Order: sequence, then C-alpha cells, then structure tokens
Amino acid sequence: MLLARIDGVIVSTVCHPSMHGCRTVICQPLNEHGGAEGAPVLALDRHGAGQHQRVLVSTDGAAVRAHVGDEHSPLRNSVIAILDAAP
Amino acid sequence: MRLGHVIGKVTLSRQDPAYLGGRFLLVQPWNTAKYAKPAAPQPSDAGLVVYDALGAGVGSIVGFTEGSEASKPFTGPTPVDAYCAAIIDEVFHQPPK
Repeated sequence: MLLARIDGVIVSTVCHPSMHGCRTVICQPLNEHGGAEGAPVLALDRHGAGQHQRVLVSTDGAAVRAHVGDEHSPLRNSVIAILDAAP
Repeated sequence: MRLGHVIGKVTLSRQDPAYLGGRFLLVQPWNTAKYAKPAAPQPSDAGLVVYDALGAGVGSIVGFTEGSEASKPFTGPTPVDAYCAAIIDEVFHQPPK
C-alpha cells in the first residue's frame, strides 16, 4: 500500500464502464517525512477523501474488481483509508 | 493508473490473433514536472504502446493502467500489459503550497 496525499481530481466522460460513478483522484505518494516522492498516480476514491488529505492507496487489482463488481475492470489503485494522525 | 499524452499511433503488420480489431497508441507518460506545468512540452523520455478500445486520438490525454490488470478487460488470455482505461477531459491538480 502507498501512503499518499490527494492532490487533485480528473474528469473523464469516455472511460471503462467500471469507472462510471466513481471519483478518480490524483494521489501523490509520500515518503516517511511526509514529503512528495515519485510521480503521482490515479486511484479510485470510494471514501470521499478531501483535497490534500493523506490517504492509503491499495495497489491490489482484485480488491478494486470486487468493489466495482466488474471482473473485467482494468483498474488497480484504490483509496482504502483516510489517515487521521500525521505519520 | 497513470496519465499520459498520446503522441502517435502504432500499426501492426503481423500480430497475435488476440489483438485482432485492436488499436495501439504511442503514449508518453507524465512525469512530476509535467504535472506542475501541463502546458509545457515534456522532454521525451521512454514512451510506451498502450492498447486502446475507447478511440483516443493523437494529442489527447489518456489514463492507462499497466501490469496484469491491463489484461483483465479481455475475455481470453491476451498479452497486453498497458490498457487505456480513460480519455481525460479535465485535470485539476493543485498540490499544497
């Protein structure tokens, strides 16, 4: 799992059907000091994380497929938790 | 999933039968500098070929997934490891100051 920060959101009308109805957020991975590290990744957000909130991003495709209920979904990253305390 | 710019198309003369009817795009992934200044031209680092079923054109921004998840949308076993999952209309990216 990745410790990441929500840095933005994307809008896409033409996309894979399993993405419909879900919010896709831009997650910036963070290092242990909370600083940005590496290129941002896109993730499916089902918990309504707000802008600049720290979240846990799972890279397990099977969990996303189970959540969207589509065995043919190409997605991999999903926001699975919103962090309270700073690392 | 990662963002990328479509910079070209790839046409296959001989291909795996599972690819029949497929379109292939040459995509340049966005790096950290590109997120900061999306309008600025990005120095060309490694592009990759992405399978596309949505009809993205050259110049559009696409969201593509890689790895084993990229072969899930196909019914049979298909040797694809980069799949175009979305054509992006808007990117709102505001990191904290």
